[in-house]
Amino acid sequence: MNLEKSHKRYLKKFPWMDRLRGGWAIYKQNLLGKIGLSLLVMFALMAICSFIPPLIDPMYQPMTGVDPEITKSTGPSLRHWLGTDFMGRDLLSQLLAGTRVAFLVGVSAAFMSIVLGTAIGMVAGYMGRFVDTFLMRLADMIMVMPTMLVVLMLAALFGQLTIWTIVLIIALFRWPGVSRVIRAQTLSLKHRPFIEAARVAGASHTRIIFRHIMPNVLPLSFLYMTFRVTSAIIIEAALAFLGFGDPSTVSWGMMLQWVWKTGHMFKAPYWLLPPGICISLITLAFYMLGRAMDEVLDPRLRKEAGTE
Amino acid sequence: MALLEVLNLSIGYHTQKGYLHAVEDVSFSLEEGKSLGFVGESGCGKTTLGMALMRLLPPNGVIREGRMLFDGGDLLQKSDEEMREIRWQKIAMIFQAAMNALNPVHRVHEQIAEAILTHNASIDKKEAFEQVEELFQLVGIPKDRMRDYPHQYSGGMKQRAIIAMALACKPRLIIADEPTTALDVIVQDQILKEIMNLQKEFGISMIFISHDISIVADVCHDIGIMYAGKLVEHGSREEVFSNPAHPYTKALLSSYPTLTGEKGQLMPIPGETPNLIHPPSGCRFHDRCPGAKAACKTGEAVWVETSPRHKTLCYQCGADCGE
Amino acid sequence: MKMNNDRETIIELEHIVKKYTSRGFFFGTRGNEIIALNKISIKILKGEIFGLVGESGSGKTTAGRLIVRLEKPEEGRIYLNGREMAGLKGKALKNFHRKVQMIFQDPYQSLNPQLSVFDTISEPLVIHKIGNTEDREDAVWQTMKSVGLSPPDDFVNRYPHQLSGGQRQRVAIARAMVLNPDFVVADEPTSMLDASISAQIFNILIEMREKFQVTLLFITHSLSAARYLCDRIAVIYKGNMMELGSADQVIQKPRHPYTKALIDALPKFGLSGKVKHYNTLLPVEREASEHEGCPFFARCRVANKAKCSLERPLLKETDDSHWVACFYAENGTEKGF
Repeated sequence: MNLEKSHKRYLKKFPWMDRLRGGWAIYKQNLLGKIGLSLLVMFALMAICSFIPPLIDPMYQPMTGVDPEITKSTGPSLRHWLGTDFMGRDLLSQLLAGTRVAFLVGVSAAFMSIVLGTAIGMVAGYMGRFVDTFLMRLADMIMVMPTMLVVLMLAALFGQLTIWTIVLIIALFRWPGVSRVIRAQTLSLKHRPFIEAARVAGASHTRIIFRHIMPNVLPLSFLYMTFRVTSAIIIEAALAFLGFGDPSTVSWGMMLQWVWKTGHMFKAPYWLLPPGICISLITLAFYMLGRAMDEVLDPRLRKEAGTE
Repeated sequence: MALLEVLNLSIGYHTQKGYLHAVEDVSFSLEEGKSLGFVGESGCGKTTLGMALMRLLPPNGVIREGRMLFDGGDLLQKSDEEMREIRWQKIAMIFQAAMNALNPVHRVHEQIAEAILTHNASIDKKEAFEQVEELFQLVGIPKDRMRDYPHQYSGGMKQRAIIAMALACKPRLIIADEPTTALDVIVQDQILKEIMNLQKEFGISMIFISHDISIVADVCHDIGIMYAGKLVEHGSREEVFSNPAHPYTKALLSSYPTLTGEKGQLMPIPGETPNLIHPPSGCRFHDRCPGAKAACKTGEAVWVETSPRHKTLCYQCGADCGE
Repeated sequence: MKMNNDRETIIELEHIVKKYTSRGFFFGTRGNEIIALNKISIKILKGEIFGLVGESGSGKTTAGRLIVRLEKPEEGRIYLNGREMAGLKGKALKNFHRKVQMIFQDPYQSLNPQLSVFDTISEPLVIHKIGNTEDREDAVWQTMKSVGLSPPDDFVNRYPHQLSGGQRQRVAIARAMVLNPDFVVADEPTSMLDASISAQIFNILIEMREKFQVTLLFITHSLSAARYLCDRIAVIYKGNMMELGSADQVIQKPRHPYTKALIDALPKFGLSGKVKHYNTLLPVEREASEHEGCPFFARCRVANKAKCSLERPLLKETDDSHWVACFYAENGTEKGF
């Protein structure tokens, strides 16, 4: 026995790291994925850089900083690389701040709706019967409600919404689609022999859900999360553009609303185009990321890469 | 002259990990009216071989070398058009997953009549249905079940229908790839008997592919043992089973539980089947062979004829292997 | 029933009935009722390998699933060490799961693709909170060696998709054995594997019995595999027990026409001409009886219409501990030929 113990064992703490590496190897081969990821890195850098301009000069504060020498919208110049808006605020710092907000809204709303959707989907699929019926009818009800309309009504009822309220609303309205997919996946997993093997070993329901079902549905959840980010960003931008955004934050949607409201829509392309392009690009980037992940998760491809 | 003669056939697949040597340097011949069984573990190339004979390899498969002479002509030289003619009319196949070979939305007899009609323009629909009736009688499907849909058939009956379909154009060669794998023993026995009878009755040649050495032993005149893409032993059934020469054949036989005879200890083959992207050097069986010598690892195995109708691919079999 | 009273019974199935209701064509309608097991009684003795042989749909897998509580019988009782299983709760239930394990048919399906080999094998230990981390590692390493996954270092960090079929099944066996169970159900553990790999698995199972004194229920469709592994064999057909006896009795001196038909159907290694044939199977099935007759009546050549179609033969002891459910099984005479 002593001899047995002295033997140094080669047990990896995180054996799944190898799998991540394998997944990355497939991802790397995907052109869409590479483009998407580069775009996202670019946006992330922009979000990080958003802290820099206000440090240089208070007039670069995206919301409150005003160039004292400018009183109307001006085009790009050395002082203001992207120009200024109607009251002399720097457009570049607004754009950078907007990136931060887009990430914040997109990722947190998507994350919340995915957590909710995955949990509900797993519970519904695993428990079955009454629980399943109840949760799925609830999901149906929410799914048929038009998110935009409900948010607009809420905004009209409660006045201005803060950015976090918007995030919460998006999360609450966007989980049913995910939960349906996760439930279907759970149903197909539930009767697989490895689940039965765990039952025979005496595993509790909680253990089966978290240890056996969750790792098998999580990749799918993450995939859906990338698509949810896209829709969350678009919803926020649309709300802001329609004037229901959080007035204390600068988002791309807000910028577009200001262009529109001040009548610069067709007069100041330097003002209109950057936020528009950014919204399109970031949603496209997340979509590309999702498509590439879809390929990574494809069991056929994974098998080929994994078998030695 | 032999009906089918395969010479130095090498087949491979291009995979993400590299070139996979699925079949290497396989030669055999098959006489008219005889049957030849290929036995080997999964991944030994036996299915690839069958598919290659039909020229139905997946897109990443390549026939790198060799000739497949069928009825005098080389199948590899045929155009796709000519090959379509040959398939089903001259060479028919009974697939491994036969259960899925029937289209679930059409009645069984319609599907078989369809097969007859597409390959034989000279007959009309009525005659085709008459032929189907005959075929069903041959394979033992009751007449009143002809008009059923596939899902109404049991596994055994589906398999019979597939055999009827293979016979529809009166082929000269049938390639049967694991035709009974998913069936119960009694049904398997019935189907095998059916296949043997039909083969005898019509003088059809047959290539029978299976992982189950005992089935092949019952059905075929000649046996070819395959290991890791190579044919390692080839001979008449009697010779191969009463006098196995290759260590792999011996190991295969002693790892199979039987009903008759002594209830001895089973001797499983140690280890795993080799990776065919980087096949082992020398004799491919050397790392699992109980009688392997150092020379087996480096030297190429050679064909040794142990008797006129029995030969084996082994580096030292001629001398003193594994005894 | 008196059988081998000198050895302890570990598992007993008593008049087990299990039915499945297939779903009807329309919503809410009930389809046909299928009887998977029809009043089956089996006593499995401590330390033996008991073979349950039957074709697909015979109910053999259902019997195994009932024993490990993946399913519940409609009627009848199952005892483990003389204690009835149905009412187990809480601690007793957990204890039961420690003692009874199962090896599944398809090793490609029975391992969680997202768990490493170590996590898979150590899971039962974690569930039952046995030992500390180091003890668990010891147990996993030990078990892996005993099922031939050696050296374990090469395998612990792998995932199922990096293993061959035979290796996966070894992992599944290790998972079942790591708790040192008293009883293991092996449900066709080799039907998905190559013949040469099957022999490895058979030998591991035999070794397990010797090393850990575990009792095995070996479920299979292959009489030759059952002959190799098992001490006693039960043959079931459409949920009915047809024959029960020692492996030698059942295979060398089969009494039931169905067992004989099974033996006839097995490939004979090219020797079919030389081997004795029983010829108990009708080439064409006859009309099944409308009464509660013998389940094998429709396919039996030996059957007597007046008797077999009207009355169900009961399981009777023909000679020493050899039980047969056939009217024409006495003393091995082959009446009706």
